[in-house]
Amino acid sequence: MGETVGNLIGLNDEVIHPAATLAVEAHNSPSKQFLVKKIKIRHDLSSVVVLAFSGSMLPEDWFGQPPFGETEIDTGKFPSLTSLNDGGDAVVNGSFLRRFNDVLDKLSHAKELKAAIEKKKQVVFAGYSSGGPIAILATLYFLENQTLSPRCLTFGSPLVGDRIFGHALRREGWSDYFTHFVMKYDIIPRIMLSPSSTEHKQILNYFKSKFDKKNINPAPPSGFYHTVMGNASSVASYEACHLMGCRNPSLDIIKSFIKLSPYRPSGTYVFCTGNGNLVVVKNPNAVLQILIHCAELGESNTAEVEKRSLDEHSAYLSELKECLGMQAVVSLDGGPATATLNDLGLSPQAMLCLQAAEEFENRRSRNLEKIRKYLEKIEVELQMLRKYKENAQISRLGYYDSFKLQNEDDDFHANVSRLELAGIWDEIKEMLKEFELPDDFENKPEIIDLGTEYRRLVEPLDIANFYRHSKDKETGAYVIGGGPRPKRYRFIQRWLEHREKKPFGSRSESLFWAGVEQLGIDIKKKKNLQEIKDRIRQLERNMIAWIDVDKSLDKDVLLEKTTFVKWWRDLPRECNSESERIEKLIGEKAAGV
Amino acid sequence: MLATFLSSTPVLQDSWRLCSLANSAATVVTDHVRGVAYVAFPGTVMPSGGANLVALDGAPDGLFPPLQHRHAQHQHEDPPMIHAAILDHFRSFYTSTTFHNQILAVIEKSKAVVMTGHSMGGAVASLSALWLLSYLQSITSSLPVLCITFGSPLLGNDSFSRAILRERWAGNFCHVVSNHDFIPRLFLAPLPSLSAHHPHFVLQFWQLLMNILQSDSETAKIFGFLLPYIQEWVANMEEECVESPFSPFGNYLFFSEEGAVCVDDAAAVGKMLELMFTKASPGSSIEDHLKYGDYTEKASWQLLMRKSFTLGEPPESSYEAGLALAVQSCGLANQESISGPAKDCLKMAKRVNRLSPHLNAANLSIILSKNVPYRAQIEWYKASCDKSDDQMGYYDSFKLRGASKKGAKINMNRCLLAGFWDNVIYMLESSQLPHDFLKREKWVNASHFYKLLVEPLDIAEYYKTGKHLTHGHYLKNGREERYEIFDRWWKGREVGNEENNNRRTTYASLTQDSCFWARVEEARDWLDQIRSESDMRRSAMLWQDIDSFERYATRLVENKEVSMDVLAKNSSFTLLMEELQDFKSKTQQFPPQFPAFLNGEMVP
Repeated sequence: MGETVGNLIGLNDEVIHPAATLAVEAHNSPSKQFLVKKIKIRHDLSSVVVLAFSGSMLPEDWFGQPPFGETEIDTGKFPSLTSLNDGGDAVVNGSFLRRFNDVLDKLSHAKELKAAIEKKKQVVFAGYSSGGPIAILATLYFLENQTLSPRCLTFGSPLVGDRIFGHALRREGWSDYFTHFVMKYDIIPRIMLSPSSTEHKQILNYFKSKFDKKNINPAPPSGFYHTVMGNASSVASYEACHLMGCRNPSLDIIKSFIKLSPYRPSGTYVFCTGNGNLVVVKNPNAVLQILIHCAELGESNTAEVEKRSLDEHSAYLSELKECLGMQAVVSLDGGPATATLNDLGLSPQAMLCLQAAEEFENRRSRNLEKIRKYLEKIEVELQMLRKYKENAQISRLGYYDSFKLQNEDDDFHANVSRLELAGIWDEIKEMLKEFELPDDFENKPEIIDLGTEYRRLVEPLDIANFYRHSKDKETGAYVIGGGPRPKRYRFIQRWLEHREKKPFGSRSESLFWAGVEQLGIDIKKKKNLQEIKDRIRQLERNMIAWIDVDKSLDKDVLLEKTTFVKWWRDLPRECNSESERIEKLIGEKAAGV
Repeated sequence: MLATFLSSTPVLQDSWRLCSLANSAATVVTDHVRGVAYVAFPGTVMPSGGANLVALDGAPDGLFPPLQHRHAQHQHEDPPMIHAAILDHFRSFYTSTTFHNQILAVIEKSKAVVMTGHSMGGAVASLSALWLLSYLQSITSSLPVLCITFGSPLLGNDSFSRAILRERWAGNFCHVVSNHDFIPRLFLAPLPSLSAHHPHFVLQFWQLLMNILQSDSETAKIFGFLLPYIQEWVANMEEECVESPFSPFGNYLFFSEEGAVCVDDAAAVGKMLELMFTKASPGSSIEDHLKYGDYTEKASWQLLMRKSFTLGEPPESSYEAGLALAVQSCGLANQESISGPAKDCLKMAKRVNRLSPHLNAANLSIILSKNVPYRAQIEWYKASCDKSDDQMGYYDSFKLRGASKKGAKINMNRCLLAGFWDNVIYMLESSQLPHDFLKREKWVNASHFYKLLVEPLDIAEYYKTGKHLTHGHYLKNGREERYEIFDRWWKGREVGNEENNNRRTTYASLTQDSCFWARVEEARDWLDQIRSESDMRRSAMLWQDIDSFERYATRLVENKEVSMDVLAKNSSFTLLMEELQDFKSKTQQFPPQFPAFLNGEMVP
């Protein structure tokens, strides 16, 4: 206790209130797409540039296609917002994305922004209500481009993205740049958790006429609380069941009967309790539970709560003014402090959910520890295989062909090693799929490096095994779309490509042997000659690049007795375009051994 | 928590709405809401006869094949049995053509189906859902089916509920039971004890219940009539509860004034049914049977309420707190004498193993990877047998193995792997593994591969130890249940489109029919029998069997679905084929061998 919000979110306290003021102002001036303001910080005389976005209360700017108006994000603009393990691309609200795209052109040409980049000033994107999502997407856009590292502040913003969205943010380490202020009963941050309905339109219309100032006291809608919060509660209790490890198969069966909102919170949340205290929460599962549970009906009747849930949406400025100066901020992360939660008025049921959310995070760290122990085991097995590979060079056969023949005891032991490694990596893969490991796991350099070495060393053995048993007859070629190539390799390759910001499929050096084998088979089948020629040329070029340029393919493929060299020398001359270069490489290798 | 989730979804309220429609119309009613089809069965049906059970095996029309089929290993259990009158009722729906058309039309149009019903209609809905699940399984469709019943009576015995668990269908059932409703408890103390004194009681009882369901007008009159009987029944119930042959299945969602709890353990459900009834009065027990509309409506509000402990200090540990909340939700918290047992009961329902299914699956992956070397050794063994000089293939090598160290090692591996897979099946059946476990290719493939590799060894062991002499042939009497289960997994997997179009050009690495060797052994036995058989008719039958085996084997070999070891020079298959040809040429003078005209006569 005793810290200020600024300390916890890494931004000067003096910035927050002016940013909120600007955000509210921008929201209510729809003629301009955004407002810019420079804020001086008193104690070190630096300054921060704040950009705040305008909002819209038109229903079509909130919900596109019912029920949830979600759409896959454009990975051209946001390459990182995707899952690296088959979870698909992140999903965001289509209407918000459209509005962001409308602003983008003007935004990237804004001179204030250019100046800030030049002078390396801190930039903050801010948004109130429906301006919030634009601020979030803008922040992400600039984080992706690496032109600057902006912060994002939102006040009463609706939810924007799904679970993958939040996962990607945390994987890239950007989660801390986003701070969302939410009032205890404000309905807007919860509205996206329920499907679009007439109640939504009523709420938006109410705010629209309120903000337009044509009608100072519009009649508030009623009866929406049950619909919106009921649906939101489905989402929360479904997630809570998962957090608590509920094993009842009905859970997923019932889920297939209803459509739950895809949206989930991400970033840091600051809950305003309404009595001057602020609660800072970073655990996304805990945020979701608090969002639902702190707005539960208490002793007061539904109509009152309904009124509060509308009123509080326009109370951010006054609330923040009151509590920002004070040091009454509590962070929830690192153990729920019961005293704080009393401020939020959470029920025992809610406390259980929060504990489960915290336990889930702990479990993920424990899983990581477990994986760290496996890494040693992986290292031992890899060491064995490295030795195996080296020994196989003596016979000039190379380990690929030696493994494929399976004549020696060593080959058998290598096979056991291969299978044990496959078991470990498959387990890691499963855990990632279930989000049972920390979100930044796939971005850890030591994991990517080890994975890459594993992939380059062991995948050839999988390919050898595959073609040794002629499995292509049963399942088709090793490398096709969702074909027989084990998923573990695909994921590990994806990690590397993501780190190097290369397109998907560009780091396929470990598939070299599969290419060779498949070409051999296709030539025998007498497939289209031109296509085969093209593929041979491609293979040769790739090979030279992998061997010479980035050394990602070992030269042992060039040993005289390998499948590759034998096959390549048997090719009709007109097929190889790079014959000199490759002949030279083979010669060098032969001389070198 | 699951109860909260359930009551927050619109599924419950939609189901109830349709149920009350069905009740007042007294027919099956269907509806579509957001792509989900609802089929409601009216509660206004009259069961004839008492609460006697009939075995499902006896049902001639094969309504629920997966439940009726029992593997040899479960023979010692009672057969699955259900309430005779309810089965009759379901059959009367089932045999009408409109029912079929209705259901099939519904399946075509929707992404998911909810079967629902109130009172007796709930029991019929359960049977319909079971039938639909069996049907969908037979056409390998994965259409989600959910059965929601309101105040449904108990349906079957313990074996019945276990059979449903084994099929992993328990999760598809949700029985809603309100506080004091007596119908779900009805068969805990069977009515016949009453009807002895009042011969027409049962008939009148259902008649009246039907009337109430159809219209509310006569309620008051009926109360007057029913109350004394119910009182007597309640008194009976306390004595006879324990003896009841009925057992619950699926999830039970208990509604009370205070909230809702969801329980899926059969024993715990039985206990809760009893405990929550302790404070019931005859009046409330009838009223609660009719008030499901109120309860579902209320539940959707209750979950938005902030609940706090009504009495005493909040408990220390979160585990205790969770239990206390659950007890409170049953409305039992302020009833000293019952809250204790209720707590124990819910504790039991939470089960000892509190690891999540996903973690279990992950742990299982590790164990699988540890088991892989055993399998690799067997593969190695197979390869070395294929190459060895005696040219017998691994089946015969293993069958004829002496006291060699290698053979013993392989036999041990075989047992270890069997233990591992049995454990996987056990965990799956007791729902300790994720719901979509069987959709994970890794496990289906691994089990299939295991089956292809190891089952021949099991067969070899079976015939080596001469079990076929005492128990009969492997296929009918010796096959482990796990292989049959794996067969089903393999059949149920989602087959990609590019598969199976490629014809094999080389022999498969493993024979694709894992029972191949068992069939060879049987054929060998037939051949031996023919030699000693004098009866022409019998020997013609045997010839027919052998002929069909020969056709089967030739097809397999031609399609290259057998592995090299089958065709090894000294394998029992090759030897058998040689012998067969030899024998055929010797018996050439006795036509007809495979008389086509006999087919019609011999095959019933």
